[in-house]
Parts: sequence; structure tokens; C-alpha cells
Amino acid sequence: MATIPIGADRTIATRRAARRGLRALRQAPLIPLVILAVLVSVAILAPVLAPHGRLDPVKPTQERCLAKYGTPDCPYVDNVPPFWSRGSRLETPLGTDFLGRDVLSRLMYGARISLIVALTGALFAGAIGTVLGVLAGYMGRWWDEIIMRITDAWLTLPSLVFAILLSSVRGPGLWNVVLILALVFWSRYSRAVRGEVLSIRERDFVKLAEINGIGKLTIMWRHLIPNVMNTVMVLFSLQVGVAVIIEASLSFLGVGVPPPEPSWGLMMAQERESLMEGRWWLEIFPGICITLLVLSANMLGDWLRVRLDPQLRNR
Amino acid sequence: MTRRAWTQTLLALAAALALLTAGDPAAAQKSGAAPILTGPLAKLDIKPAQIETARSAPKGTLTVAMHFALDPGWLDPLEHITAVTMQMYDYIVHDAMIKPMPYGFVTYGLAEHAELSADFRRAAFRLRPGLKFHDGQPLTTADVKWTYENFKGAYAKLFHDKLEHIQIVDDRTIVFHFKEPFIDFMDLYNGGVSGIGWIVPRNYYEKAGRDGFKAKPVGAGPYKLVGQQAGVQMTFEAFEGYWRRTPATKTIVVKGVRDLTARMAGLQTGELDLAFGMTGKLLSRVMSDPNLRWDPNYTGPWWLMFPGYNEPGSPFRDKRVRQAVSLAINRPFLIKQETQGIGKPTGNWISVENRDALQGQEAPALEFNLEKAKQVMAQAGFAAGFEVEYTPFPPYFDMGERIMNDLRAIGIRGRMQTLEGPAFRAKVGGGRKSYPGNRNIVQNIDPRAGGAKANIAVYAVCDSPSSFICDPQIEALWKKHQASLDLGERERLVKQIQRIILDEHYFVPIYLNPFVHAVGPRVLPEGDGFHRYWDTLNAPYPWPWEIWEVKADR
Amino acid sequence: MKKYVLVRALYSVVTLWLLVTIIFALVRLTGDPVAMKAEAGADAAYVAQLRQSWGLDQPLHRQYLSFIGRLFRADFGHSFEKSLPVRDIYFERLPNSLKLGFAAFLISIVLGVPFGMLSALKVNSWWDHVGKLVALFGLSMPGFFLGLVLIMIFGTGLRWLPVLGKGSSAFVWSVPSTWVTFWFRDWAHLVMPAFALGWYFSGAMLRITRSGMLEVLGSDFIKLVRLKGVPERMVVARHALKNSMIPVLTFAGLNLLIMVNVAVVIEVIFNWPGVGQLLYDALSNRDFPMVQGVVLMSGLMIVLLNFTIDVLYGYVDPRIRLSL
Repeated sequence: MATIPIGADRTIATRRAARRGLRALRQAPLIPLVILAVLVSVAILAPVLAPHGRLDPVKPTQERCLAKYGTPDCPYVDNVPPFWSRGSRLETPLGTDFLGRDVLSRLMYGARISLIVALTGALFAGAIGTVLGVLAGYMGRWWDEIIMRITDAWLTLPSLVFAILLSSVRGPGLWNVVLILALVFWSRYSRAVRGEVLSIRERDFVKLAEINGIGKLTIMWRHLIPNVMNTVMVLFSLQVGVAVIIEASLSFLGVGVPPPEPSWGLMMAQERESLMEGRWWLEIFPGICITLLVLSANMLGDWLRVRLDPQLRNR
Repeated sequence: MTRRAWTQTLLALAAALALLTAGDPAAAQKSGAAPILTGPLAKLDIKPAQIETARSAPKGTLTVAMHFALDPGWLDPLEHITAVTMQMYDYIVHDAMIKPMPYGFVTYGLAEHAELSADFRRAAFRLRPGLKFHDGQPLTTADVKWTYENFKGAYAKLFHDKLEHIQIVDDRTIVFHFKEPFIDFMDLYNGGVSGIGWIVPRNYYEKAGRDGFKAKPVGAGPYKLVGQQAGVQMTFEAFEGYWRRTPATKTIVVKGVRDLTARMAGLQTGELDLAFGMTGKLLSRVMSDPNLRWDPNYTGPWWLMFPGYNEPGSPFRDKRVRQAVSLAINRPFLIKQETQGIGKPTGNWISVENRDALQGQEAPALEFNLEKAKQVMAQAGFAAGFEVEYTPFPPYFDMGERIMNDLRAIGIRGRMQTLEGPAFRAKVGGGRKSYPGNRNIVQNIDPRAGGAKANIAVYAVCDSPSSFICDPQIEALWKKHQASLDLGERERLVKQIQRIILDEHYFVPIYLNPFVHAVGPRVLPEGDGFHRYWDTLNAPYPWPWEIWEVKADR
Repeated sequence: MKKYVLVRALYSVVTLWLLVTIIFALVRLTGDPVAMKAEAGADAAYVAQLRQSWGLDQPLHRQYLSFIGRLFRADFGHSFEKSLPVRDIYFERLPNSLKLGFAAFLISIVLGVPFGMLSALKVNSWWDHVGKLVALFGLSMPGFFLGLVLIMIFGTGLRWLPVLGKGSSAFVWSVPSTWVTFWFRDWAHLVMPAFALGWYFSGAMLRITRSGMLEVLGSDFIKLVRLKGVPERMVVARHALKNSMIPVLTFAGLNLLIMVNVAVVIEVIFNWPGVGQLLYDALSNRDFPMVQGVVLMSGLMIVLLNFTIDVLYGYVDPRIRLSL
């Protein structure tokens, strides 16, 4: 058709709103933004920033070997303490673990793992959930019933239980964890998106598009999905934090990201005995990293939710 | 002759007959040694049981922590698998005809006399008099026969295939007749090797059923199960009618504490008296804690296997690559890091406690030579290394990472396949077929009893379900071994097979594992005497349990 | 009203049936439990016989139908691993999880609700910001992290509290175990895991209380009460509090159930013998009936709770039942 569909105005308006949103990001709370920016850049630049490798132990000097083991030759020196303790080394500011690997480097690479897993997992979950939610909300009767019943059933399972169950199907592995996160969390999106779509589809521009004879698929793709993006984005930002915790829990239990990769949850699992031995930093640092990441994601998500939901703006 | 004369003669004849058939009065008292079988007998070296005269009443509670969740199935000897964990419970609740004890690897238990015919086709046992189960029912040969026929555990097929029939001579005497010479029978019947010798009460089992028996088992051992929370805790109480001696401790509580830190904490706070598996990062703490004592408890060697080694395209097909793996492992450093130096270097993958195992000069400790390892890898064409999947033995994942670290130095990289205990054992049980691809390394340990041939039969023979090696030379030697009835020749063949495995580096031994057990201050005797609890050979756990003593303050 | 209840009940049944089917399929995807028993040197005939006694040699649809059939008789089958009926083992462990969940629940309420109210009353003030931050912090720190820190400080450091599951002789009060004392006997063992578990949810409770209070405080009803000249303290204590409790309690009830079921990691760290550990062990062993039983029971609890909440809401608010 040569004429511009009437709904296009709305789509253009939505795009403008998105650009406005980006500008508004500058009004976002500073601290979580900074933390998140730092973590993301560390994750991306890890190979450049990290002083040592993530898998190989730090090559020790002969004097260090002699000091610790009494022999001039040793493959590594384990459990070097962090910078504030006696016996620390400048090249490993946060110390080394039981295998002589640099803790700081491993934490940096661990940021990669946590971010990749959480972001892609939440992304896939969002994609699946949005599509199903739009289908359920727009296509009506049977689609709605079936998808919503499945969503309800899916939602009755506590996420960690479900995640552990799914991990038994495929075993440990980074992309398996992403798959698990996608499969566990899509239901949260579909429910919210369906609700949104139910109210949007009564609006004028959708009705006009329908009258114009535009196909259902096009309507869903060009009108409905862009307009639910607000809700989806809020959910996404809140889900990222949960995803990080679930990945850390799975790795902690041994069914997430397998060794020797430096997932933060895995590092915490491996160094539990060090906590008893007094080497608390090996356990606490990854925990702090997880907490910081989730905290900033949650804070940003909260801000986003307040901003995008007019009713809540006064609070 | 007069009637009087006849009567007198008859009486004299009767008296003479009676005297003759009465036999040697001294022999009548040694009825335990009276032979059961006729014909030449094989030589058996079974030590007599040490029956101790009545001691004081049992007292105190011993709290034990197992390093994984408890399984009620362990209480049923009929389903006895070869994992040695079960035997710990056999020693608590049940008793066997012959079994390992601190004073001998094969000693008389429920049986007081055993015989094996020289052609290995008949085996006979005589039970001790007056044996009873926990519920008061007598233990008779009917139970021994029933146990044999209903046994479903490891080696069951072998036992059932070889059996021709079981002859019950009387309540205490039983003879097994085999279709063909069963040279390994006494080895396998030993309670330390299989479960078929642990006698189960027929009447009770049939009444309670399989599940009822597991919920409330009845045996002839020194302790009775008095309570259990499935998977969490089992509580046992002394059975004062045990034939060998009154148990020294009144109550034994076994808890499943999978966490190393939790076991450590429990020992330190006094909640636990005995904890298993204290190696790894906390061993130094165990050693330095003045309240705790520990026993090194060497079980068996760690070794690496290469499933898929003879698949096409596998880098491990080349003997030099396997040799490089062996050369690259820094065993002394590993021992120092992982076991605080108490691990022992070993040249064999079979424990020296096993009969016919190569040891000492025949299996010298393996060298660590990184340069040579890199050379050999280059010669084999893998100077750049390759990717593998490494499966460590749970829960020794740290050790797996250390070894992977060593291998990374010669270019072998990869990720770890961290499995839980049951999944790992299942994969090993499935042999080389259960590992996909042709680049796998599996770390294993298996302190099973039964001589070196037991390990070979399970891991090194082509048609074993858990086979990891398939080599024509070994097959030929094994066939000769199975056909031979000469013990000397068998020993030679077993040693030859081990030689081939070591020379070809099919298996790469690492070090002899100290499966450290730690005890708290309540365990008696104080000081160093407590080491005697670990005197039994081939025993990863400190059985027998009736000799354990604790302070009676709880 | 009856129609509403009936419809909701129908929905719940359908949800449950879907849940059952999903679990059935998923569990069977996790691998072969018979292989779990096949150790090095196990007897092949015995292993094959196990497959038959567990019903795994039957075609899938027959397994499914028998599974559903047994569910109607409240029979979850026999655990492959522990050879005892799943139902018995589960209900033996459930009180432990309930105890832990309930203690965590109490902690989350004690920590969350008062601070949430404080935040709402002093909205946008310094108190409010701190309160919101604290809540977020609670939601960001993984429970197991807190648990490990607690063990380090109170367990092995100060030695105030025991670290080993429940019921070890040194710390249990020697009172007879009755219905009432059940909740208190293991209090020392309960403190740390309950705190680690409840901490996370206290953050959520704080926020729900805060938003609930704010909503009520901004409502017309409260404006009217204020206009009537009722002193502020009375406004809060008598009117605002009562009305804001409804969403709080709903959320709290749901949280309690979730806590009972997601305490897996906490139970593993503290060796607490609850249903979370049961599930974890069962998954390691591919113990189908046990996994099915535990997951189903947790789903069932949540479905029942949702149904109850729906009915109560429908009873209280006519708009809801008419909107059907």
C-alpha cells in the first residue's frame, strides 16, 4: 500500500520517546550507574586490565618458593595474603588462591561470566516471555488460555528449585546456565506483558490498524511490542539481579559454571574452607562483587520502574 | 551256645562297636575341627576368631559423620554393591561367615570351620553353635543357603552360574557344590569382598519384605538399628548377645554430613567424635588442633584413566602422550599441597595391600620431568597440546584442578566435568563407553579387596562392563589366568598384566591416598592408642565397631 | 460467589495437572536412574531387574498414567535411592523445613515491617532513603553469602552457635519432644540458617509494607479520618496499619511458602535436614519419584495458597469476583 499506515505515527512517537529515555538516563541515580559501568567495563576489558591470567598460577620467584616451601623450585605459591597483610606481594594485590592464581584477575574474569550469563539469560527469557505474552494478550481465547495456564504452572515452581532440576538435564556449563535462566524466568515476562497488551489493544491506534486491514503479525510486531517495551525493560532490569544470584547459587552447588572458570559463585564454593582457616578474603571478595552487581542492577531497576510508571512517580 | 552265652556275646559285640564308633574322646571335644569334606583339601589360611570373655556393659555414645548422605539401602546385604561404604554398615548390623578383622584378612566370623576341596568344586562351612539374630531367632544353615540363593549384589551372576546345588548337612554344616572348579570362591565369599557371606535372616526378610527390611533391618552383628531418618541419621544400639564380645560402646549415631567445613566444625565443637574424609584444605587445621587426633588411613592409589584412548583420532592412542601425562604431574608438590605431605608416592594403580600387586622395586615411583614431557608430546606431534574433558573424583575437585594445572604446562587444557558421587560412580561403572568423545581423562580411586585380580577384572578386561582398557596381550594373559587352576601360575599372570598396564601407561598412578579420619577427645584410649581401630587390611573405614570405646559422659 | 470459587478451583486443577506433566517430562530428561546403580562391577542382571521393579521398562504413556493414578491415592511411589515410600520420607523432613521457613519468616517480618512502616511515615526523608537502601541490600546479597559469614563469625569464630544441622546432643535442650517444644528445641541450630534465609525476604517485606502503607495513607478514607480530627498517631495505629496489612500478609504468606521450598542452598550449607536437601540428593541420584514428589508438593502448596488468597480476595472485594 502506498499510504502510510495510521499506526506509524504512534510507532514514530514511540521511537522519539525512546530517545528521550536515553537522555533521561543522565538523571538516573549516580552510584549504581557508576558501579555498573565499572563492572561492565572491567568485564569487557578483562583481558587487558587483568594483571595475570585467569587459569594459570602466578609464576613465583625462587626466593618466594624458598620462603614458603623451602625448595628453590615450585610451580606456584598459594594463599598469598592481600595487600594489607604482611607477606603480600604488589603484583597480586588481592592475594592468590589455593592454586596460586591471582584473585584480582579471577574476579575480573568472573565479572565477565556473571554479566554474560545474567544479561543473556534475562534477555532470552525476556524475548520468549514477551512473544508469548503478546500472543496470549492479542490472539485471544485459546492462545490466551493455553499460554496462561502454562505460565501459571511454570510460576508455581520456585525458581531455584526449578533451576537445579533443569541443571540435572543438561549438566554444568556456561551456556547451559543461560538456557536454564531463560527457561525459568520467561513466565514472569509473559504474565506482565499479557496484562499490558490487554489494555493496549483497546486503544485507538490499534483499532485503526485493524480496520485498515493490517495483518495481526504486523500489528503485534510494530505496534504492540514497542509499546510494552517499558514494562519489559523494567522487568529486565529487575531480573538481571535475580539471574546473577541464581547463577551464583548454581555454581556454588556445583551445577553451574564448571571449574576452572572463575565464576564468583564457584570461587565462593571452593574457598569455604579458607574461611575457617582465617583467609576470609578469598570468600568475601567474590561475595562482595556479587552483592555490588545485584545491588546496582536492583537500584537502577527500581529507578526505571518509578520513572516509567506514572502512578508511582510521586513516591 | 546257651541263651546266656549269646546275650553276653552280643553285649560284648555291642560294647566293642560302641567303643569303636565313639572314636577318640579328645577328637569329640574338638568337633570344630572335624572334617566335613572327603578327599584332598586346598590349603586355606583363615585365622580363628578372637572371642573375648564377657566384658563390662556397653557405655557411651559415639557420633560418626559420613561424608555423604546416608542410604538405607546399605543395611541390606542382599543388594551389596562393591562400593566399600556398605561394608561399614555390614560390620555394624550384620556378620559374615568369614571376614577381615584386625588380626587377619580372612578370619572366622559366623563360621568356625571352612574347607575347600582341592579340585575347587566343593566348599563347606560349619557355623558356630548358639548363634542368634537380633530378634532372638537362631542363625542356621537354612539362612546361609537362603542368603546365597537370594543374593542380588555384585558377583551375583558369577555365584549363581557356578553353583550346582547347596547341601545342608545339618543345622550348622553346609556344603556348596559347584558345576566347575571355582577357584576364587573363598576369595569372593570373604565378607570383605562381596556381600554374599553376610547372613540375612530368611524368616524375617520374607515377612518384612525388601522395604521393611531396609526400614528395620535385623542381623547377627554387634549393633541393632533403633532409629533412622532417611538420609540424615541412623542410630544403633549395642546387641549384648553378640557372640564375639559385648560391644564397648552403647550407642552409635551416624550422620550424613556432606560438607567438609561442617564436619570440621562438628569435631571442634564436640558434636562429632569421628569424621571421615578430612583431607584437602582443612587437613593442616586438623593436624594443628590439639584437641583432635587423626589417622592417615591409606586406602588406595589415585590414578588417571583415558576412556576413548583407542578410538580413532584420539590423542591418547599414542603411548607417548600418555607417558607425557605421567611425566607432567608434579607428584611431590601435589602430595604436599593436597595431603600436607603424608600421601605416599606409588608406582602402581593397585594398592600394595592387595595380594599379587606389583610393589616396591617392581613398581618404582614415577618421575616428574616437565622438559621430557614436552619433548615426548612434541615427538608424538602434539607440541601445541589439545583440549580435554577432565572428570575428577568427587568431592576432590581441588585435586582435579591441581592436576589440570600441571597438565596445562604441557598444553593439555580443558574443563572439569564436576559430577556428584552417584553420577560419577555410574559413569565409571559404564566403562569407557560412558564418556563421549575421545579426549577424556578420568581420575579414579578404588580400594576394593579381592587381590590385584579384582581390580584387573573390573577395569582392564575388554568385556567387563566397566572396562577402560582393551588390549589383545592383556586379553590373552587373562584368558590363561581364568583357565588356570595353579595358584603360582595365576600370580605370575596377574603380575604380567600389571606390568603391561604400567609400561604402556594405560593407567597413570598418582599417589597413595590418605583418606584421613579425625577423632575428637572423647574417643578412647587417649593418646595414640586409638590407631588400632584402623588395623584391618583393605578397610577404608575403621571396622570392626564393637571394639570402639568412648568416654561415657553422654 | 460459588461460580467464582468453582472457576478458580478449576483453574487450580488445570495448573496442577500441567505442573505434574511438566515435572514428569523434565525429570525423565535428567538421565537414567538405573545407570546410577550400575557401579564398577555391578551385576547386569540385577540392574536390569531394578529397571523393571521401578517401572521404567514400561512405555512412557503407561508410566505417566500410573503416576497420575497413584497421585490420586496420595502415593508418590518409592524412592529409588532410599527404597522407602517418598511420602513417608518427605513428611518426615517437612517439619524441619517448616520450622526453618517459619523462623525465617518471623525474622523477615520483625526486620522488615517496622522499618517499612517507618519509611512510609517519614517518606522521602533520610530515614526513607536509608530504609530503601537497606531493603535493596538485603535483596542483593545472596543468602548463602550471609550464611557463610554468619558461620565464620558465630559458629567457628565466637563459638556461640552450633553449625551442624539440628539435634546434636551438645546444644539441644533436654525437654521432651512435644508439639509445642518442637519449635523451640533446636533454637540454637535454627538461628543462623533462619537469619540467612529471612534476610533476603526482609528486604521484600520492607518494600511491600512501605508501598502498602503509602497507598493507604494517600487514600480518601484516611483523608476523611484526618479531616475528622483524629490525632495522627491514632490514624496510623488504628486505621492505616490495619488496612495496609492485607497486601503485606498476602505477600508474607507467599513468601513463607517460597522460603520453605527455596532453602536448598541454606540447607546444604548448614546441613539442615529439610526438603531442600532431600531434593538436592534426589537430583544427584536421579531419584525420579523423590524429585517428582518434592517438586510437586512445593507446587501444590503454592497453588493451594494462591487459590485460598483468590477466594479470600473474592470474598472481601466484590469487584474481583464479578470481573470474572
